[in-house]
Amino acid sequence: MSTARLVRHSLKAMGRSKLRSGFMMLGSLVGVAALTLVVSVGEGAERKLLATVRQLFGGSSILVFSGGGRLMGGPRAGASRLTLDDVEALARELPGIEAWDPQQSSTEPVRYGGASDTARILGQSERSEQVWGRGVSRGEFFDAAAVAGSARVALVGETVVRELFGDEDPLGAEILIGSVRFRVIGILEPFGTDVHGMDRDDEVVVPISTAMRRLLNVDTIRAAKLQVADPAAVEETAREVRRLLRERHAIPSGRPDDFSLITSAQVQKMVARVQRVLFLFLPLVAGISLLAGGVVAASLMLASVSQRVGEIGLRRAVGARPGDIHLQFLLETAVTTLGGGLAGLVVGSIGAQLVANRMGLEGILSWKAILLGIAAAAVTGLLAGVAPARRAARLQPAEALR
Amino acid sequence: MIELYGIGKTYARPTGEAVQALSGVTLRIERGELVAIVGSSGSGKSTLMNVLGLLDRPSEGHYLLGGRDVSDLDVNTQARLRNQKIGFVFQTFHLLPRTSALENVELPLLYSDRTSTQGLGRRALEAVGLADRMDHRPSELSGGQQQRVAIARALVNEPDLLLADEPTGNLDARSAGEIMAIFAELNRGGRTIVIVTHDPNVAAGCGRIAQIEDGRIVADERLRQESQGAQAAAGEAR
Repeated sequence: MSTARLVRHSLKAMGRSKLRSGFMMLGSLVGVAALTLVVSVGEGAERKLLATVRQLFGGSSILVFSGGGRLMGGPRAGASRLTLDDVEALARELPGIEAWDPQQSSTEPVRYGGASDTARILGQSERSEQVWGRGVSRGEFFDAAAVAGSARVALVGETVVRELFGDEDPLGAEILIGSVRFRVIGILEPFGTDVHGMDRDDEVVVPISTAMRRLLNVDTIRAAKLQVADPAAVEETAREVRRLLRERHAIPSGRPDDFSLITSAQVQKMVARVQRVLFLFLPLVAGISLLAGGVVAASLMLASVSQRVGEIGLRRAVGARPGDIHLQFLLETAVTTLGGGLAGLVVGSIGAQLVANRMGLEGILSWKAILLGIAAAAVTGLLAGVAPARRAARLQPAEALR
Repeated sequence: MIELYGIGKTYARPTGEAVQALSGVTLRIERGELVAIVGSSGSGKSTLMNVLGLLDRPSEGHYLLGGRDVSDLDVNTQARLRNQKIGFVFQTFHLLPRTSALENVELPLLYSDRTSTQGLGRRALEAVGLADRMDHRPSELSGGQQQRVAIARALVNEPDLLLADEPTGNLDARSAGEIMAIFAELNRGGRTIVIVTHDPNVAAGCGRIAQIEDGRIVADERLRQESQGAQAAAGEAR
């Protein structure tokens, strides 16, 4: 008995039962596609989260927000009392702070010619490039003189460029933010979507002084990022920041802060929690997809055995040993589930790419997903094939032929 | 060729009740004979057929095939003997659907030890007069043609023994006649053939009729002295 001959014969026979083979493939295709998609997108989201966190909290830093820590609280007196002077004083008095950048923001209509776009306007200092790690891809960042002089210069994100300029070169163009005229001097490095799903390319960055005086007419800032030189000193510095701010805002002890602080250590903890959830969730989804594909393949194969009792009997009559029948049925399941699994990998990868494009994730094709997908298909195939193949091999030829 | 000594077969019904399908069957079939086994349904003739074809194991007695005791072989050895020594023809043809006549005929070669199987399927189909139907699927063939494909399949490994279970049961009179003519022709060529049937016309075409009732051989008569095939085989043996 030549095994190679039997293998060739089985493959050919499967080709003749296209519907049955097709449905079996579909089972593992759907399972593996779901698996690939979920693992790829999950990994992409995790990478994105880590990248965002690195950008926000690169190295060691403290974020100061105006307003207390209550997320759901209504507005209250003194809620927005963080000023540039506050942050300047912090930087002056705490030698551990090596750099800082204030931030004010609002959402305004931006117009150029007939086109308009509603964008997030960020007021920042010239140090923003260094502190936040986001510079310009073309043109140049505004300098300290522009911040000191409240210059009406703007850096625009790529979404804004697309919405307002189309194919035109935005550098040097005059745009209207609200009713104030600005000159575009740079294009912001692309960022994509952040973890909140916000398009960070639909942004315009202007000097903080210009934003405060000419656009918003406020003398407070919304937030500031303080960079701490020594990573080990972040928590200590944060305590000092809190003490100084309470002192400057004259908050009596027992009253809550009118600002909130987030340190990189807190964020690390949060990230670790998210990663733990992903770590549990992804294998769970993988397991469920695998199970679904396996159950479909196994039941189809069992049905196939019952349907082909006569064929099995005939094969036994003309000389097939139980082992030959066993091999043929295992082979059929293995080929269909593996074939379906490979197709599922392709479908899942394409799906993941589509989702990634939508969500602004990148580097989506995950080797882990591919290996997991192939392993899942193989395991499914084996598990789904074993029982039907055994049943087929154990049929008594005399009964099978009846 | 075939020697059965006191073959008995007992089945257990699902209810637990034992059924004696064969009891004390002793039968000798010489090389080159064309034998009909007749009997009503439930008489045990199908069980006898299964025992002869090594598809079922007798509960008692001994079965010698070509002088070798095959009553208690393991499944793999049985499979090999079926493949090499026995060809089967069934009432319902048992052809694989959506598969060409030629590939159906070549099925036993798949499980054979032969190193070269080139042209065997083709030759077997030519022998049953279907040279022009090699690539047809069973659904494209008449009943008689399908049974001829099945006979070609039974012959492809050149077995000593051909077992046919109601081979004309699903055919009209003309096709049945054609099939019987092929069997007669094969028998003249020296092949041993056993046909299970309840059709008197089929039985009449055979050289010997063994009648089975309630699991026992109740009559065994030779219609002609010796079939030509048996003489030819005997001649070869000398």
